[in-house]
Amino acid sequence: MSTSHPAETDADAESDSSRESFTGQGLPRVEDHRILTGEAEYIHDITPENCLHMALVRSMHAHADIVSIDTEEAEAHPDCELVLTAEDIKSEYNPMPTGVGRIATGEDGEPAALPEWALADEKVRFVGEPVVAVVASDRYAAEDIADLVDVEYEAMDAVADGMAAREDEVVLHESVGSNVVDNERLEFGDPDAAFEDADHVVEGEYTWGRISGVPLETAGAVATYDEESDSFDIDCNIQLHTLVDNMIYETLGYEADDVRVNVPADVGGSYGTKIGIHRYCCLTSMASQQLERPVKFEEDRLENLQGGDMHSSDREYQMRMAVDDDGTMRGLDVWFVDDFGAYPRYPINQVLKPLSVLTNSYEIDDVTYEYDLVLTNKTSQTAYRGFGVDPHIYALEMIVDEAARTLDMDPTEFRRRNLIRPEQMPYTLPSKNLYDSGDYPATLDRIEEIIADERDGGLLDPDVVAAKREEGKYRGVQPSVIIEPGASGSDWTDRQRTDKEDLADRSRDEVEELPEHLRAEIREDGSIHAFLATDSSGQGHQTLVSQLLADELEVLPSDIEVGYLDSVDAPTEYGSAASRMAVMLSGATVGVAERLLANVEELAADHWDVSTDDVTYHDGTVDRLGGDGSLSLAEIAELDAETNAAGERRTRVSYNYDHPATDLEEFDEALTQKFPVYPTAAFGANAPIVEVDVNTGSVEILTFHTVRDCGTMLNPMIVEGQAHGGIAQGIGAALLEEFGYEEDGQPQAITLFDYLLPSIENVPEIEMEHTETPSPFTETGAKGVGEGGMIDAPASIATSINAALDPLSVEEPASQIPVAPDHLRKKLRESEQ
Amino acid sequence: MSTDSTDGAAERPTEEITVIVNGEPVTAEVEPRLKLSDFLRYECDLHGVRVGCEHGVCGACTVQQDGRSTKSCLSYAVQADGAEIETVEGLAEEETDSLHPIQEAFHETHALQCGFCTSGFVMATKELLEENPDPTREEIEEGLADNICRCTGYQNIYEAVERAADAMED
Ligand code: FES
Ligand code: FES
Repeated sequence: MSTSHPAETDADAESDSSRESFTGQGLPRVEDHRILTGEAEYIHDITPENCLHMALVRSMHAHADIVSIDTEEAEAHPDCELVLTAEDIKSEYNPMPTGVGRIATGEDGEPAALPEWALADEKVRFVGEPVVAVVASDRYAAEDIADLVDVEYEAMDAVADGMAAREDEVVLHESVGSNVVDNERLEFGDPDAAFEDADHVVEGEYTWGRISGVPLETAGAVATYDEESDSFDIDCNIQLHTLVDNMIYETLGYEADDVRVNVPADVGGSYGTKIGIHRYCCLTSMASQQLERPVKFEEDRLENLQGGDMHSSDREYQMRMAVDDDGTMRGLDVWFVDDFGAYPRYPINQVLKPLSVLTNSYEIDDVTYEYDLVLTNKTSQTAYRGFGVDPHIYALEMIVDEAARTLDMDPTEFRRRNLIRPEQMPYTLPSKNLYDSGDYPATLDRIEEIIADERDGGLLDPDVVAAKREEGKYRGVQPSVIIEPGASGSDWTDRQRTDKEDLADRSRDEVEELPEHLRAEIREDGSIHAFLATDSSGQGHQTLVSQLLADELEVLPSDIEVGYLDSVDAPTEYGSAASRMAVMLSGATVGVAERLLANVEELAADHWDVSTDDVTYHDGTVDRLGGDGSLSLAEIAELDAETNAAGERRTRVSYNYDHPATDLEEFDEALTQKFPVYPTAAFGANAPIVEVDVNTGSVEILTFHTVRDCGTMLNPMIVEGQAHGGIAQGIGAALLEEFGYEEDGQPQAITLFDYLLPSIENVPEIEMEHTETPSPFTETGAKGVGEGGMIDAPASIATSINAALDPLSVEEPASQIPVAPDHLRKKLRESEQ
Repeated sequence: MSTDSTDGAAERPTEEITVIVNGEPVTAEVEPRLKLSDFLRYECDLHGVRVGCEHGVCGACTVQQDGRSTKSCLSYAVQADGAEIETVEGLAEEETDSLHPIQEAFHETHALQCGFCTSGFVMATKELLEENPDPTREEIEEGLADNICRCTGYQNIYEAVERAADAMED
């Protein structure tokens, strides 16, 4: 176990390890130089010649009919190039595709129309919804012109609470007739029997406030329509550009090949959230087509926070747990409402992903899982790091704490008794996903040892704790073991669009899991170029691929350059999501390298007119066995160019690494039923030591202990960086962040003064240890790490707050995320009475 | 809002200013409402100046004005008339293409992920270390509390600052 990573300079790292593996080393990133010198090109930096700029007129009402739009004055402004309203775009383009269709059905049983136009049509449904787009020579002028547009509204009652919206007193979409657009109840095992037989049934209600990734870089899009080819070129910092590009080309009414979406190599953070920004691509494309000039839109922070299509999960949970006197968890009953805002989008899958970690690290066979997916007058949801797993783990850990209290049992002992044991691996969950490998009890033991040290002269020393209590400061910690499901496929994400009867008859052969694509080529100067089919936003994919490819090809990472493919050149793949890339890209890199080496040996053998058995590759050279002759990679690339036409070059290869679940029988049942399949289960135990000031209700995290296992660590520096960042976001979620709304649907957090992001003052020292239990299911043994921290920190902070306040018998102090001071103060006051 | 050009048809008032940017004087006709951040990004083509919030919270736009860290989104270009501005582009040794010790330290300690906040952090660190070449963790916390990084969780940023401090002392 180590807590540090090697951080030599690139040159040192390269030479130190000559012919030792680069994989597994904390190689500094190749992405950094351009970023550090200000040369990186983010979307905000891309402005083609002759480019115009767009600004949006956005709704200030949460729910209102649009009575009229007067654009005359705007159009008369000398700098005005174009004004677009819903009427203009409806005559030429399509609505943006929506995400559900199973419950939201009309009378004939067909999916009800729930059209979402890129500009509000006839009525507005959330504050910040774009109503009019204006285009001018620059953004300053565009905003002047936007101010001249006069929209007359007739305000209506709004609903901004997920539970209340279920009553359908205010209905957002008349065509659907109800705000509940999806509902599903799933039963695994025999929960009725479990709840009947158990000694106790424990209940709790938990709220997960609306939070999100809030990347420092806002969304942006630059579209250029080319009349000659009748096609579009779009630069945008959208995430998963090869998967969600249909939201753009379908809206424009074009074929996929006519709409080229290109993501800049540098994206200023996404954390999942930028998969939902297609509206901007659509609007700039439409404007560009009308004007035959490039059009750019750069979202500002106020737009981003209120109407930027970037909020995430917003849930009310009702949890029940059946337990026996001896501390056995017998049954679990999960019920929740997720408030999706005004339109259901692709992230409806967030309500299903928790099935992949349904019982977290515990063995519970009998489970019910039910949700209502509800629309309200809030901005629409998108994905966010964790994709809906974070609230589930939080609510589950809360009911576990409550059960321990009911049983009067030490919460750690209660957890330990129910942990899945290493001899049960791979372990099949009731919901049919598998945990690949790991020793959960040992991980809990290790974190307990760490806390024991803190109790002995450290932050939790009994004398210190007692003295602090005198000051009204309560310290505590409550560890738990938490799973991060990694490397999603995609087939299951259609579950909510699939008819239930069709699902019942589905066969294994109908399942399609998405591979990951990688290309590589050797250039005539001997350099190697690889191309990713995915976008990235700070995860170091270029470094990862160059490091692994260097090992496979026995060259230096600096001999390798890694670039990106746009949505037309890249096959439609799944890309950067769901803690997927380390697993998928490392698998693809191994595959691409094998293919390349085989071809290189063949080319050399052909050249010498010998069999491939008579040549051997090492360190960037092919030798002819017997000693006479060797060819460098540069020479081989030249030979290839001489003998093969461009389209048939053998020094250019591509490879698709199949999703690890594709051929594993163990996953057949989950795949057939379209349950979420995540073949890797990174895991870890957290022990954040918290201090609650009972006078103010504020919570400080004194230190954050964590023991983590993500299988083979390909680049420990990046692994730790991902965990640090995830934990920081988890701390923000647990204590600070929330998109609050007034009852009438007015957003309360529209600046970064209201939506509080954790600063260096809120994030404590993170004490991290690693274990490495390789995954038996993946090529390199790696497991996903992209979402960890955000998935597990909120639950762990909440359990630690419960522990800290245990002596005061406050009822469920952390029953609401974020555990904001006002909320906690109220709870503390109530407990005093 | 930010802008790339001001070449519209409308009559808009402008003023002439001269700002010393990374050692070079730049003279331009600008609208009084042009933000300093936009002036640097678009008139001076210094894209290392990043705009994350335009209301003074995130610190991505931090540059040095007359030797002090300042959030360039919070002032107008006309207010910088006559001032000396240093941006992240002014740090690396151009001839040798070698990074400034602060940049080097951020690279070595993986103190950046998406990098959108990084120029702001580097410039804030520069001021911090100029005033206090050997800061404690508390002093680093205080010195960088005006900048937000959404990716790194700050731990590696502490390490970067400490490493840079060591390197600059030698
Ligand atoms: S852009 Fe200036 S502080 Fe955020
Ligand atoms: S590195 Fe992404 S915001 Fe700091």
